[in-house]
Amino acid sequence: MGGYRMKKLWGGTSLALAAALTLSGCGGGDSNAADDGSGTLTISAFISTPNQAPAENNRIYQKIQDELGVKLNMEFLVGDLQQKLGVMIAGGDYPDLITADTKLVAAGAVIPLEDLIEKYGPNLKKHYEKDWNRMKDSSDGHIYWLPNYGAYTGEFQSNYYSGPAFWIQKSILKDAGYPTPKTMDDYLKLIRDYAAKNPAIDGQPTIGFTTLASDWRTFPLLNPPEHLTGHPNDGGVVVDNGVASVFADKDISKQYYKELNGLYNEGLLDKEAFVQNYDQYLAKLSSGRVLGMFDQHWNFQAAEDTLISQDKVGQTYVGFPLVYDSSIQDHYLDRPVINLNNGFGISKDAEDPERIIKFLDSLMDEKYQKLLSWGEEGVDYQVDDKGRFYRTPEQRKQQEDPAWKLANRADGFYAAAPKLEGTFDDGNASGPGNQPEEFYAGLRSEDKELLDAYGFKTWSDFFSPAPENPVYYPAWQIDLIEGSDASVANKQMTDASLKYLPQAVMAAGGKFDSVWEQYVKEFGKINVKAYEDRINEQIQWRIENWSTDK
Amino acid sequence: MNTKKIRPEPFVFHTLNGLLMVAIAVITLYPFLNTFAVSLNAGNDTIRGGIYLWPRVWTGQNYRAVFANGHILNAFWISVARTVVATVLSLFLTSMLAYTLSRKDYVLRKPITILVVLTMYFSAGLIPTYFLMKDLHLLNNFLVYVVPGLVSAFNMIVIRTYIQTLPEGLIESAKIDGAGDFRTFISIILPLCQPVLATVALFVAVGQWNSWFDTFLYASSKQNLSTLQFELMKLLSSSMNLNSSTAASSGANPGAAVQNMVTPVSIRAAITIVASLPILVVYPFLQKYFVHGLQLGSVKE
Amino acid sequence: MAKAVSRRSASADLPKSSWIKKLRAQKQLMFMSLPIVVYILVFSYYPIWGWTMAFQDYSPAKALSEQKWVGFKHFAFLFTDEAFLRVLRNTVAMSLINMILGFVTAILFALLLNEIKGRFFKRTIQTVSYLPHFLSWIIVTGIVAGSLSVDGGVVNTVLMKLGLIGEPIMWLSVPEYFWGIVGASHVWKELGWNAIIYLAAITSIDPSQYEAAEIDGANRYQKMLFITLPGIKSIVVILLIMNMGWMLEAGFEVQYLLGNGIVVDWSQTIDIFVLKYGLQIGNYSLATAAGIFKTIVSITLIFAANTIARRLGEDRLI
Repeated sequence: MGGYRMKKLWGGTSLALAAALTLSGCGGGDSNAADDGSGTLTISAFISTPNQAPAENNRIYQKIQDELGVKLNMEFLVGDLQQKLGVMIAGGDYPDLITADTKLVAAGAVIPLEDLIEKYGPNLKKHYEKDWNRMKDSSDGHIYWLPNYGAYTGEFQSNYYSGPAFWIQKSILKDAGYPTPKTMDDYLKLIRDYAAKNPAIDGQPTIGFTTLASDWRTFPLLNPPEHLTGHPNDGGVVVDNGVASVFADKDISKQYYKELNGLYNEGLLDKEAFVQNYDQYLAKLSSGRVLGMFDQHWNFQAAEDTLISQDKVGQTYVGFPLVYDSSIQDHYLDRPVINLNNGFGISKDAEDPERIIKFLDSLMDEKYQKLLSWGEEGVDYQVDDKGRFYRTPEQRKQQEDPAWKLANRADGFYAAAPKLEGTFDDGNASGPGNQPEEFYAGLRSEDKELLDAYGFKTWSDFFSPAPENPVYYPAWQIDLIEGSDASVANKQMTDASLKYLPQAVMAAGGKFDSVWEQYVKEFGKINVKAYEDRINEQIQWRIENWSTDK
Repeated sequence: MNTKKIRPEPFVFHTLNGLLMVAIAVITLYPFLNTFAVSLNAGNDTIRGGIYLWPRVWTGQNYRAVFANGHILNAFWISVARTVVATVLSLFLTSMLAYTLSRKDYVLRKPITILVVLTMYFSAGLIPTYFLMKDLHLLNNFLVYVVPGLVSAFNMIVIRTYIQTLPEGLIESAKIDGAGDFRTFISIILPLCQPVLATVALFVAVGQWNSWFDTFLYASSKQNLSTLQFELMKLLSSSMNLNSSTAASSGANPGAAVQNMVTPVSIRAAITIVASLPILVVYPFLQKYFVHGLQLGSVKE
Repeated sequence: MAKAVSRRSASADLPKSSWIKKLRAQKQLMFMSLPIVVYILVFSYYPIWGWTMAFQDYSPAKALSEQKWVGFKHFAFLFTDEAFLRVLRNTVAMSLINMILGFVTAILFALLLNEIKGRFFKRTIQTVSYLPHFLSWIIVTGIVAGSLSVDGGVVNTVLMKLGLIGEPIMWLSVPEYFWGIVGASHVWKELGWNAIIYLAAITSIDPSQYEAAEIDGANRYQKMLFITLPGIKSIVVILLIMNMGWMLEAGFEVQYLLGNGIVVDWSQTIDIFVLKYGLQIGNYSLATAAGIFKTIVSITLIFAANTIARRLGEDRLI
């Protein structure tokens, strides 16, 4: 009887073996850049930003293939980039185009581009003119990467503010007659008063202020001190007169966390602030009962979308550039900087680098830039009689459909490629997100009312205009060199902050100072100097090598 | 002893035991049902939290996003193929090795057992393994899914332990009948091992079905070798990426509420359902091999 | 239960000719096992050359001959870091808790499920119980974190309603609870999955033993204790020995996903440590060094466990 059952269980054996043999036939044969005879060049690319492969007959890629004779064979990252690059470098096989990582330069995986651009890439040369020196590698002076963001042409328009700020609910501002808080004290007074008047919102207890330190999203907890002292976002350091120093254990930080400690003991700080994960954080914000927090706008945009879809525009947020005292000039809003060590490079395995540069160069033509960002006229956007681009509600709607996007947009490639930002020659914004008309079409009546009350046009107007960036800015872009003492120290500092700051903030009454002392002591054990030295060395290097920029 | 009479003790036991089992079923079913509900709820509503067993704002959008990918059907078949091929081959080879190592008088028993057991406790690391696959020409080759995991030490030990509980007399009598070891293995051991083979088949099949890391490392540049799990991982990573800063430049208008946007949480839920349903049906199918009393029948034969 | 008498020692005393005879008699066994041994040597043992990385500052960009040798630098970094002892303690504690809880609950569950009479009911419970195994840790920890929230989490709500606690407890902020929460989460996710192996083992028990016991007047608990449990004892012992070897494998996902700054002294495991200071900053050498350390510990532990099992007269792994 057993025999019969076994037959069923094993019945597939021979079939399975046959399948294995057939399928193994598909192996081998890498598809590097190759001309298939018809004049179409296939360029293979590895893109370290996750994305889905486009649909087979994607309209935009098809158009590029028809007009420029280039077929893109893209692989997007899934999983961990470091692991992927590790095996790629160890194996020594690269696609033609590859997105930036400092490891690849060290491994000799990518070729210098400056001569190729000078010879075959007039559009690229013009696009990167201003940043040419900055793009040179700090170790050998070659250009290996074509930054994908931050090279602006025409007028830079920013309606949406995606950066850091102390955020406060719009209804609080309305309630208080549209004041403009400048300091922590002004801001916290607004929150205290509103929380006292409204102990519950939509049936749930009001949360005065919250913060987040989950996974890699630690900036809501760690970054406020540098902003409160009028410094721009330089990451873990503040830079004064070209000298960077770590601030996490200094008095400028103590002042802020002591303030949070006070809030905690008043019961205004979210009790779960240090325990919650990102999903819980978003859930709380989108319940509409969190009055304020420090964060970067893009980090909680999803919660605002949810609030708007519940018709709770009043509980979405406005950002203010708070400082410790009103004599300090705020520096939250910064000028766009070139996204160094990002974008495409050409690998040593590429057979025809010249054609690849020519291809990327032709894409810099405004015609193709419009195709990549706005799409096709009449299909993806309309042009009114003044030559302004706009989208109909249906066209906006279809942009939300993932299936449609896979077949009708070239986002995966576009995000990594060099691109025009700012305005085109005809005055239209480089993308729908920056077109003022599109921005106003997205505003709710409550938003318009609020902006009018302050006499502002966009959300960026709440911030002081961005001053000229220092040459070395921003310090957070500095490569700490993998495995170096500097990068180890960086990890250790973050660990120490994440461990002690919650303890300090949640300390009862007079205990704050003693926890803070422990924290400073712990910091003393870390090789902070290795970290500061690396950053200062690079800042000096940048000052010497970049100062000739126009 | 009169066992026909209904005694209160078994009744109490069965009731309590039944209730306990139902309770366990409820708490183990909950996360799955919750995931199912989330997968059918609109992404930007899920962010608010509070979805338990029933969607609040119904949508098919999350599944639409999963199936929008034109490569998913091919990937599904590759997953099926690797699972079937690897399970069958692995089951055969692992149990064959287990049989030989269950023979107490086999002279190589101890050295081979140690050699195999130790493999559970070390790993050579990513890069040397990658080189091995490269040298064996397994990169971008279907066989890379099947060959490296053919014999698992853990499964071998599980099967060996089971074989050792079988009555020794069965094997002895086969030997007396003149059967060699291979024939004994095929005609006596395999049929008797059904329950444990079904268990190991489940382990191998689930492991194969769920794996995406080998595709990531060894076959990611070959779209027609992509597996279902890998395609779903792509979708998940891209949805997580979409919600960060790049949204501003990719054409969507931030600030204007995006109604039907899929979010990582809702995509993950839909993916989990899509990825696990096909493999979930395997267990009930294998359960029929968990039958008592097989050996008894064989001995009587 | 048929437990074969060990005949290993007999072979040592045999004269040479019978050795050859024996080898000849075992020809088939060798044909069946040696090709698999070759396979294992190639796929598992050959790549161990990679362990040399632990003694280098390995950079994937360089060829093997160009790597810089640094001796025991990476081991020194591991063992001299003051966090390492704590991380080791957490790892051992959490894997012990997971192991004990995992074994006890899965065996109990298998025993009790075995008592269920209705076949359909039994299979349904069995299938349902292994469902959470198919959910990723991120989903499971999401639900765990939500249930433990002070903000309407089900655990606090229920405990409050029962009057067991006066006000909500912030479970994930109490370092001492962390190990228990991780252990409970593991049980929840893997109970049904872990029980499968025991359910299969129970089927190998000869039903006539139960009949005989019934005739002797054994009650349900006696049957469980004296027939079912001994029937699965060998697989339990073997699994225990194997699991001893994974003492330093407490994983990292759950701890990473449920942990936070407040409980970090109790939540960090070796794997998280290695992830942070090794893989995340491109230091493959440190990761390899940690791997070698874990292997040495594992092998020591399984041989020790195996010896103890032999002394106790139990089944052995090796």
